[in-house]
Amino acid sequence: MIYFNLFFGWIKQEIFAIPGRVIALVFFLLLIALPLVTQDPFYLRVFTLALIFAIFAASWDVLSGFTGQLNLGHALFFGVSAYTAGLLNIHLQYSPWVTIPCGAVIAVSVGLFAGIPALRLRGFYLGLVTLTFPLILLGILFAFPNFTGGELGVSGISRVSSSAVVNYYTAMVVFTVSVMIMWKFTDAKSKLLRTGIILHAIREDEITARASGINTTYYKFMAFALSGFFAGIAGGLYVHYMRIAGPQTLDLFFSFQAILWTIFGGIATIYGPVAGVFILYPLLEFLNLTAWGELLRQIIFAVLLIVALMFMPEGITVWILDKIEVKCPRCKVVNVFYRKKCRACRAPLHLVRESAHQYNKGEV
Amino acid sequence: MTAPFLNVQNVTKVFGGLKAVNDASFQLERHEIVGLIGPNGAGKSTLLRLITGILQPTSGKVFFKEHDITGQSISKTVNKGLACTFQIVKPFRQLPVLANVMVPCLSPRSRRKGEWVKTVELRARDALEFCGISDLAREPASVLSHGDLKRLELARAIATEPDLLLLDEPFGGLNPAETTLVAKSLKRLHKGGRFGRLHSEGPAMLIVEHKLADLMPIVDRVIVLAFGEIIANGLPEEVVADERVIEAYIGKEVKGLEARSQ
Ligand SMILES: Nc1ncnc2c1ncn2[C@@H]1O[C@H](COP(=O)(O)OP(=O)(O)OP(=O)(O)O)[C@@H](O)[C@H]1O
Ligand SMILES: [Mg+2]
Repeated sequence: MIYFNLFFGWIKQEIFAIPGRVIALVFFLLLIALPLVTQDPFYLRVFTLALIFAIFAASWDVLSGFTGQLNLGHALFFGVSAYTAGLLNIHLQYSPWVTIPCGAVIAVSVGLFAGIPALRLRGFYLGLVTLTFPLILLGILFAFPNFTGGELGVSGISRVSSSAVVNYYTAMVVFTVSVMIMWKFTDAKSKLLRTGIILHAIREDEITARASGINTTYYKFMAFALSGFFAGIAGGLYVHYMRIAGPQTLDLFFSFQAILWTIFGGIATIYGPVAGVFILYPLLEFLNLTAWGELLRQIIFAVLLIVALMFMPEGITVWILDKIEVKCPRCKVVNVFYRKKCRACRAPLHLVRESAHQYNKGEV
Repeated sequence: MTAPFLNVQNVTKVFGGLKAVNDASFQLERHEIVGLIGPNGAGKSTLLRLITGILQPTSGKVFFKEHDITGQSISKTVNKGLACTFQIVKPFRQLPVLANVMVPCLSPRSRRKGEWVKTVELRARDALEFCGISDLAREPASVLSHGDLKRLELARAIATEPDLLLLDEPFGGLNPAETTLVAKSLKRLHKGGRFGRLHSEGPAMLIVEHKLADLMPIVDRVIVLAFGEIIANGLPEEVVADERVIEAYIGKEVKGLEARSQ
């Protein structure tokens, strides 16, 4: 009984008192509940893909959002793993449990290779170089059409399971574990790992990070490897779900998609890209169902992005959290917006509400 | 006879056609605080950057604790016990002040010394305390005033518990009261001892500064740089009286100092 009380007290303090965590919990429960509510193949398909794309977008955020290494060709990691997994499955009949990790390992090595230009280049220059990588890989793949299927890609890849629900839950478990790892790895407040702070520091000012005795090369490669790994996991899951590894996995627009999702959701947050995918991707798929939606799809997407960037330049998650959470000016503990006094130190909160955001941003 | 603690040998740096540092040689002993002065554009900051390895010298060598550190990556040098601050402050702007100082506490040099995960935050706090900005620990660095950022630079540098501190204009942008305070802290740091969890071995210091009146009382020796060349190297009172130094400064600040001391 006492343990139950302790546990409940902890839940109350650490989850229910913080709106952002309540939302995360609700989101997670909804994910679990979805197949119980509907087993419609269309919905399951949309949300399975959303889970996979969320891993992909979050892995871009680790590299470019947190570490500041602009990668405009993130589909490289996704695609290289997709093709690896697909080819292993087709030619050697390996099961997804082998091919997906293999794909991820290949994606890590490609990630380490892609990290080499980051030693000398920064910002848009690095972006331009990374942009070309998927195109180079496409060129190589098209050079061996008998082996890689050329423009058509490799099809007939086996699924994880024949049941749509099992596929959904597989993606969900992988998604949950991946996102938790990426979140811990990048969280600056984490007591477990201190990599988060270092990655932030590298993004903010690499010279200062080095002058602080941090081997930035090592951490940059680590970010490339980790980002490659999870993008690779996403790519592997994707081919075993779609049953085809084609050139679209290396598409330029697919790389940009990761960036759009992340910026829409909130960059350098991990939960931002997840939210971005889960809002934008299903929305566009549902629009596709209606006749007019299919026509206006591109326009709606563009307008949505423009409006979002104008009114929520830091992403929708940051915008929402800003509305429903108040940081205590004294002890910086997060409170629900309707509280009058800080739950930790009892400092009055209503005074800061208006100016806190600007102040934290350094605008005042 | 042991080798000097820091030994700069015939270092030259050429930017295009400009010799920013020309054949500079000097030594620094473990117990010293040395001032590096000179008119604007004399090459002081460049010389510091050559020592830390941010810039590669065109020719010449730098030895620190008998290791050749010429052009070596700054992160390695820092882990050998050297620390520096920048003239133009370079904080991690979006990170809280505390996190800014936690980064050096996470370097291999600091980490070796103990259970890092738990003590990192406390050590960072002590570094802030020492520089007198611990009340700003939770603010993002972007909201700090210039004077506070200068002190944050210093806190970041001392957080690795260095044996040699290279400070580029630590008093720049500070008001007179703050300047005296920082000057006193530097003196205290040099004496060595414990500041909370932060241990000071009493680092040697090389201080670049324009505010001579504040610099002179704390230094043991002064090196004067003009047009990239070392034109004087000696005790403060000798250097102040040197003809060439007065000429380089057009007599202005050095005379002011003499007037003060009389
Ligand atoms: N990266 C660079 N590229 C080209 N020229 C440079 C570079 N850095 C410095 N210089 C030049 O080298 C000379 C010395 O500059 P430095 O910054 O070392 O002077 P300083 O003594 O620190 O001056 P101040 O007192 O104004 O800080 C200046 O003429 C400067 O323009
Ligand atoms: Mg300078």
